[in-house]
Amino acid sequence: MRPRPIIEVGLPRILAWCLLGFLFVPILVVIPVALTDRDYLSLPQDGISLQHFAALADWSKGWLPSMLTSAGIALACAAIATALGVAFAVGAWAAGGWWPSLMRILLLSPMIVPPIIYAVGMVKLWARLSLLDSYTGVVLVHVVLALPLTVLAIGASLSNLDQRLVQAARSLGARPMTVFGKVILPNILPGVAAGALLAFVASWDEITVTLFITGRAVVTLPRRIWTSIQDAVDPALAAIATVLLVITVLALIARSLIERRQRQRL
Amino acid sequence: MRNFKRTALLLTLPASLVAICLYAAPILQVLALSVTEPKPGLANYQNLFANAAVGRVVVTTLKVSIMTTVLTVVASYIVAFAIIHMSAGLRRVSLFLVLVPFWISVLVRAFSWITILRRRGVLNGALMETGVISSPLDLVYNLLGVTIGMVHYMMPFAILLLYANLSDIDRRIMQAARSLGARPATIFWRVWLPLSLPGLALATLFVFVFSLGFLVTPALLGAGKTLMIAEYISVQISSTSRWDLATSLSTMLLLVVGIIVFAAMRSPALRAAFVARPQQ
Repeated sequence: MRPRPIIEVGLPRILAWCLLGFLFVPILVVIPVALTDRDYLSLPQDGISLQHFAALADWSKGWLPSMLTSAGIALACAAIATALGVAFAVGAWAAGGWWPSLMRILLLSPMIVPPIIYAVGMVKLWARLSLLDSYTGVVLVHVVLALPLTVLAIGASLSNLDQRLVQAARSLGARPMTVFGKVILPNILPGVAAGALLAFVASWDEITVTLFITGRAVVTLPRRIWTSIQDAVDPALAAIATVLLVITVLALIARSLIERRQRQRL
Repeated sequence: MRNFKRTALLLTLPASLVAICLYAAPILQVLALSVTEPKPGLANYQNLFANAAVGRVVVTTLKVSIMTTVLTVVASYIVAFAIIHMSAGLRRVSLFLVLVPFWISVLVRAFSWITILRRRGVLNGALMETGVISSPLDLVYNLLGVTIGMVHYMMPFAILLLYANLSDIDRRIMQAARSLGARPATIFWRVWLPLSLPGLALATLFVFVFSLGFLVTPALLGAGKTLMIAEYISVQISSTSRWDLATSLSTMLLLVVGIIVFAAMRSPALRAAFVARPQQ
């Protein structure tokens, strides 16, 4: 006979479900508001309307250009951060020693240091280099903020890699770049893909530093949403929030399906 | 042989250069400006400590951060503890309910709370219609709204951290305790809780440090009325151009975060939690 786990004693479990509800349910409020038939933030009054989703597709309203801006910046950021992250993680793994460890701490520190401090520093630096409100400026900042994620994701892949593989390749006379490109890289591709995805999402969502280094020229989607929240009138805001919610849910479902298929294949 | 190691070190260079030039340098400049702008010396720090507005902002920040940390860690522990005891199916549902808010934009979440909590929002509307209250309550743009938003932001993160930590605990220890006659409550207080301490400490550390320097949620849900350090710094550089205040306050914030992290790393339990690989 299996004794009952203490969680079945009731109250804690009910409380846990209430807390899960607190996490999930409030986000759903954006859906009815997006469907309102009024042109201010409200629940639908005399029926539902899709006009606010139509507004998202209207180029002149600014939502579509912002989405494209964010997607472009996030793609560039993911490409650069992944390349830098792979090179660093693989190099540090193969070389070892004090320099890679020190640089790893520096590369990971944006995860702990409050972004507002970085924002203050970057406003000064970009002002001096005339990179404020430029695509280059935003992409470079996003790369710095995404690097911790790519380095961690690729590092996790590398920690499962057998060092003897490298020794074997080298003893057979492979040149260093061959070892990195043909032996190590193919073995860590899942980590590289995860790192690239995380970098894309980090850039797509970044707001704190972007807020300070952009103005009228570069309006990313989070920046557009930020301004819109402060005005708190346009229901198109709820429509874009609904779109983001749907994308997130679909991505999570896709991930769990892929994971399940991989488990079945094993 | 040496050639291999040299190539490996060369590979670390591009990212290192980016981190040094585009991360370390600008932050060091913030530190430098705090003692040179407008003129060399520690005058900025004297002004900082004498400034009553800064004092109020620091008190608000500490109040919100401590409340957020306590509420988040306790609530997240309850959820994580429940999740590891669920059947596989329910666990998938629960993790989904945690992962959606975890991945969705912080802006979407702040916006949802504004929609629900404002004076003409969903919650006040429902309460008035059912006759529970006769005039709308002030639920947002104050300490309450900021704390609700912050706890909601931090919880998924803390739950995933605690869930990973609790999953690593060897269940045979509980079986042993049970077979020796310990009651469920005893098993919880004397076995589960002590074994969860590293995870709890790590969650507390992260949530507190994130709360101290958090800009987005306090700025949107506080709307200038509940002012925390990050938003105060932001006002100094974007509207009033007080670089002396912005840089010295940033330096203090960095110093406090640094001391907290450094002190935490000295505790062996936390170091162990850091070395143990977090899930996913």
